[in-house]
Amino acid sequence: MSTTITKEKVFNHPIDQIWNAITKAEEISTWFIQADFKAEKGYNYTFSSEPNEKGCTTISGTVKEANPYTLVYTWIVADTKVETTVTWKLEAIGNTTKLYLEHSGIENYAGDTAIAMFESFNGGWDNCIEGLTAYLK
Amino acid sequence: MQDNITKLFKAIADPTRRDIFHALVIATSALSITQISNQFEMSRQGVTKHIKILKDAGLVQMEEQGRNRFCFADPKPLKEVNKWMQFYAQFWDDSLGNLESYLDKKNV
Repeated sequence: MSTTITKEKVFNHPIDQIWNAITKAEEISTWFIQADFKAEKGYNYTFSSEPNEKGCTTISGTVKEANPYTLVYTWIVADTKVETTVTWKLEAIGNTTKLYLEHSGIENYAGDTAIAMFESFNGGWDNCIEGLTAYLK
Repeated sequence: MQDNITKLFKAIADPTRRDIFHALVIATSALSITQISNQFEMSRQGVTKHIKILKDAGLVQMEEQGRNRFCFADPKPLKEVNKWMQFYAQFWDDSLGNLESYLDKKNV
């Protein structure tokens, strides 16, 4: 079982346009999540949604790297204290831009063996995650 | 449920607790606190503390037999970790879709 999520997507947009979309608070707030964000190393950012009774709606972390075209920040959901890492990388290919996204770190918190043994389990969705989904939609 | 997942992450964040949990997973029978403390060269108090945290997370269950308490592993809660993976895989797909629509609109 892999504990890192990776995504690749090619956009028909110039690299700087995408870089701005993922690094500028105003733009992040439009397509992603309401953001207090600066693409500066060491900046403690907050992604938040409107408050609800579950309270599991804030994502926070620290910017680790922000040089065109690599952006890395830690990703902590609410008060879970689980520090994961999100990495964005952009690469211009002709008139298109390839975006590479990686979300890693969950393996720091769990024994691989045990997880692998039980990955086939099915079960109910965690309420907290449900709340988060609803907010992020 | 948020509490549960927080407890779960707290429980598995500690390497010693992961080792104890692993020992219980591979043990063919339930282990007593004494057996665990012998195996890990740790005080009964120390073991009891770790077991309590694992138990709060739902990863360990206890059975009283006479004066002894036996522990056995219940790894079902770990499925939440797997859920996490599935959730984010979908989440990032959706988000990148949103990013594309956003950029498309901007260019109109």
